[in-house]
Amino acid sequence: MSERARNTLTVIAVAAMAALLVVLVATNPSSPDRIEAIGERIKCPVCQGESIAASPSPMARDMMALVAERVDQGHSDEAIVDELLSSYSGAVLLDPPRSGLTLILWIAPLAALLIGIGVILWWRRHPPDATPAVPSLERSRAWRLAPLLILAGAFAVIVVVAGFFLQDRAGPASGVADLAGQDLDEVSNETMEAVIAANVDNPQVDGMRLALAERYYEVGDFRSAFPHYLAVAGSGAASDPQAVTALIRLGWMTWEGNREATTAIDLLDEALAIEPDSDTARFLKAQVLWCGNGDLEQAADLIEEVLDHSELNPESRQVVESDLAAIRAGEPCA
Amino acid sequence: MLSFLGSAGMLVALLGAGLLVGRGVVAARTERPTNLEGAARVLLAGAVVAMAALVLALMADDFSLVYTANHHSSLTPFPYDIATAWAALEGSIVLWGLVLAGFTWFVLRRYRRSPDRLGAAALAVMGAVSIFFFGLMVTVANPFEVCVQALEVGCAQSSPWPFAAVDAPANGLGPNPLLQNHFMMTIHPPVLYLGYVGMTVPFAYAIGALALGVPGPEWLRRSHRSTLLAWSFLTAGILLGGWWAYEVLSWGGYWAWDPVENASLMPWLVATAFLHSGIVQQRRGMLQAWNFILVISTFALTILGTFLTRSGTINSVHSFTQSAIGPALLGFLVLVLVGSFVLFSTRSDLVASSPRLDSFASREGTFLANNLLLSVYAFVVLIGTTYPLTLEAFTGTQVGVGEPFFNRLAVPLSFMLLLVMGFGPITPWRTTEPGSIWSRIRNPAVLALAAGLLTALLVTRIGWVVLATTLGVFVVGTMTGLLFDQAERRVAKTGQTKWKALKTVATGDGPFWAGQLSHVGVVLIAIGIAFAANLGTHSETRLAPGDSASFEGYTVSYESPFQRTSPARTVIGARFTVTRDALFIATVEPSWNFFGGGQTGVGTPDVLHRPGGDLYFTLVDLPDDTGAVSVTFDTSPLIWILWLGGVVTVAGGFLAMAARRRERVTADERASVDV
Amino acid sequence: MNRGLRWVGYGMALAAVAFAVVLASRFGSDPGLVDSPLLQEPAPTFELAPLEGGETVSLEDLRGDIVVVNFFASWCLECRNEHADLTSTANAFSDQGVTFVHIAYQDSPPASLEFLETAGRSDAARYLADPGSRTAIAYGVFGIPETFFIDEDGIVVGKIIGESDAFVLGATIDAIKRGETPGQSVTGDTQQRPDE
Repeated sequence: MSERARNTLTVIAVAAMAALLVVLVATNPSSPDRIEAIGERIKCPVCQGESIAASPSPMARDMMALVAERVDQGHSDEAIVDELLSSYSGAVLLDPPRSGLTLILWIAPLAALLIGIGVILWWRRHPPDATPAVPSLERSRAWRLAPLLILAGAFAVIVVVAGFFLQDRAGPASGVADLAGQDLDEVSNETMEAVIAANVDNPQVDGMRLALAERYYEVGDFRSAFPHYLAVAGSGAASDPQAVTALIRLGWMTWEGNREATTAIDLLDEALAIEPDSDTARFLKAQVLWCGNGDLEQAADLIEEVLDHSELNPESRQVVESDLAAIRAGEPCA
Repeated sequence: MLSFLGSAGMLVALLGAGLLVGRGVVAARTERPTNLEGAARVLLAGAVVAMAALVLALMADDFSLVYTANHHSSLTPFPYDIATAWAALEGSIVLWGLVLAGFTWFVLRRYRRSPDRLGAAALAVMGAVSIFFFGLMVTVANPFEVCVQALEVGCAQSSPWPFAAVDAPANGLGPNPLLQNHFMMTIHPPVLYLGYVGMTVPFAYAIGALALGVPGPEWLRRSHRSTLLAWSFLTAGILLGGWWAYEVLSWGGYWAWDPVENASLMPWLVATAFLHSGIVQQRRGMLQAWNFILVISTFALTILGTFLTRSGTINSVHSFTQSAIGPALLGFLVLVLVGSFVLFSTRSDLVASSPRLDSFASREGTFLANNLLLSVYAFVVLIGTTYPLTLEAFTGTQVGVGEPFFNRLAVPLSFMLLLVMGFGPITPWRTTEPGSIWSRIRNPAVLALAAGLLTALLVTRIGWVVLATTLGVFVVGTMTGLLFDQAERRVAKTGQTKWKALKTVATGDGPFWAGQLSHVGVVLIAIGIAFAANLGTHSETRLAPGDSASFEGYTVSYESPFQRTSPARTVIGARFTVTRDALFIATVEPSWNFFGGGQTGVGTPDVLHRPGGDLYFTLVDLPDDTGAVSVTFDTSPLIWILWLGGVVTVAGGFLAMAARRRERVTADERASVDV
Repeated sequence: MNRGLRWVGYGMALAAVAFAVVLASRFGSDPGLVDSPLLQEPAPTFELAPLEGGETVSLEDLRGDIVVVNFFASWCLECRNEHADLTSTANAFSDQGVTFVHIAYQDSPPASLEFLETAGRSDAARYLADPGSRTAIAYGVFGIPETFFIDEDGIVVGKIIGESDAFVLGATIDAIKRGETPGQSVTGDTQQRPDE
């Protein structure tokens, strides 16, 4: 067989085989699995980088089951993907859409290929000058450019460091609340109740207890305030002023609410044992003695002790003095 | 004690690196042969001492070191205790430093043999890079900090001062369970680092040549050779990583386009481009500027990859925890890129190379096509990996980019590369006649199409599989044709026996034929991936003990659940017997492994390797009270071809190294001779 | 040509700086954190049976209340840590038009019930099973604990990722009662799956 005939035969054979191959591949009957195809586009939320189709994790399996169900129900691929994205956001889409912000992702490689071809064609047409370089000249040039190089490097470092420090680095929101240091103005009674209930063993909670009890006390809700004052008074961890406040409130509420003079005086005495200089405790004790026990003499003594302290503001002093006058005169309390 | 030893090692290495830079710069500028060995020795000794201190601390369960306390436990068995030395962030930098010091020694040995300015400048650059990495170790990633406030297990507070009052915990937290599930984890990182860090050497020669203003064949020859070495290790490292993922992670895959995988693929692609375009410069003196760009980019991409996996800016399978190391690496990356490219610009008159391209239909033309495709490939990986965070930085919009994106672009690019690979070796330099190409591709084309048809008719009509077989046979066919052609000519000329002639041809141009061997490896990888990815099957069933299921012609019988407990780990699994046509094949035991008494189980597949492909068994859950368990069966047809291809590719790289070594003497003459 | 090369070099250097600035801007942000697209949107509805079985509870039944939807599991350590705070908050707000709904995530009902046995439960809260994770998927759960806040009109106005506590929970509810939109906040780590 001549070389020519052999070539012709080969060309025919190659063309025929190639055509047959293309036909065979193009008519490949196996249809791609829709469920699998959708699953491959979604990142498994509890894994790293794997798709829900590939991941063996239970969550991925559940998501695949959902996809299968939606396919059965006749939803379109895009509708199923959108449903998942509506709860998980575009961050779980492994297959970025060829539109909008991610279009650039698909165009850029093609652009790079075209630019590369362009550069090669340009390079072929414009071969570089074959001027031999003069090293000595280059050395002097390099010295001129050295500062530029250093400057560029320094600039880069500054930019990076600045970028690092300037950006908004919001740390995570407060984790377990620091109970002592919270500004409680905007916090509701319920929140305080919840925090207290969840932290019964935490000594730091006494501050919040007291604040909450004071709120109840101020609106006259003795029933709600009482247990909290009691807890603070009984807490070994509460500070002295906290305990004194709690005991004074407890004493006064016992008298005001239940008219139990003896218990009230005991509580106020406890407060005075911790803080002997407490004018409030002394004054309230005097009131209980005067109104409850009728022990005018001791009441008058206590009031005088209160008056001995100069810190009283004029208004309070006036009230205390009028009370003293009333006690001295043997008047019943108001 | 070990903290002191390690800290001293780091500081000594830092000192050695500084000395190397100082003396190297002097040597490079004065042209006087200078003894740089002392500085390099100090650097290497310091690095070895640092690594040894870390390994000793791990082997001796010395929990006074924070690193040991937080990444090791007394239960961790050999060899995982040693592997822990590079499994966490700080330790991985120590390994990096050690490998870098080793490569510096490799550069020094060449310098010692023939001292010249280029070698001295390259050593200075190696020293500068070492300063950065050992500086990193001393400052933000210090593995030798001592624990000054222990927790029950692990450490709460540390001090970099080795003599601080130590408060060592009784035991450490132990390594990540995933990393102690397979011995591969002890080998994969060092091999990968040999590849990654090895890319510093070609970079050092390139920067040395640019700084000295001495372009030409010399820097290229050295860069090319060291790239070949690093590339071989990088290839091996990437494949070992894939194999580890396949054998250990339960999802049956080897590649997921995870950022950490992409980080290793990018420098590989660019280094591969350089391996090819470097030949063009060696043979024809062209593309010098482009080669500088490729070498600089390869090194920068290794730093970028390190940054991406260690800074916490990208979510990844094995990203290390966030620390101040991110900004440091990013700053270094910017310095490298800005410094190198500004230097490149100031030397633009020197780097331009003059010869003109005669014709696109030439070996040069195929190399250009190869470089264009590989560069675009690397760009696809780069943009896909970094686009989500770029977009979020600018618009706050969160998008995901994953496998479908990469596959859609990378698969066509890979096949185009295969096609070019088929033409490259048979195309002569300078220019070619269509007739000569036709005569070389005629038979391979017929053979390739026949193979494609056979695949389509007998195996599958899935396009990618058919295409992979066709192109694979074409590549191997043209290359084999060339080999036999040359051997035949040799037989005619010298009268050697055919076998002898083949040997003479193959060893006569060793680097070329070693490169062709790597091409065969790449073809095998492509075919392996095409088959395993497209023809794998999957099935899942729930079995009670005594039940059996049939799958792909095999019968899988569930024997019983089992539990094995050792101090280090508890294995809970299920034992299956696999039979085919009533013939016993094997017993498989997929399991869940629990380490150190922890609650965290690692699903561990059992893989049955068969000639037709692997059978892959995983447990979906733990056996329940009755012993029933859900199990998945997967097949990966012909996947062993992928691993074989990997071995062949790497072997080609190392053989090319060896052949280059033999040829070094005649290298100068060869470079000036055109075919 | 040579001039072209010079500008190629400068261009690459400049591109490197620009790229680095972009990368630097991502420091300190959690790459795994996804902003929930459900915020300010109508809450996905659900109709789920209690863990013990019995009559289903649907979100529509609770319309008009502030609904706190918490995803938990017995295998999740953070869930165990935060559970007492959720219970006390549910109790404290029980007569304030706030309902807590706990949905078990990737957990078997017996295991969830055992968890509640030891961690405690509120009479005012609902504890529901989520077969097939449909509700977890609809709410876009990445890891648990995740807690969603739905206002009286059925709009998702808040989300807490990670271990919460009574103060954060209460303050979030207070803010919603004041008509504010607390949005998404991260209070700690989450666990993604039982085998992790």
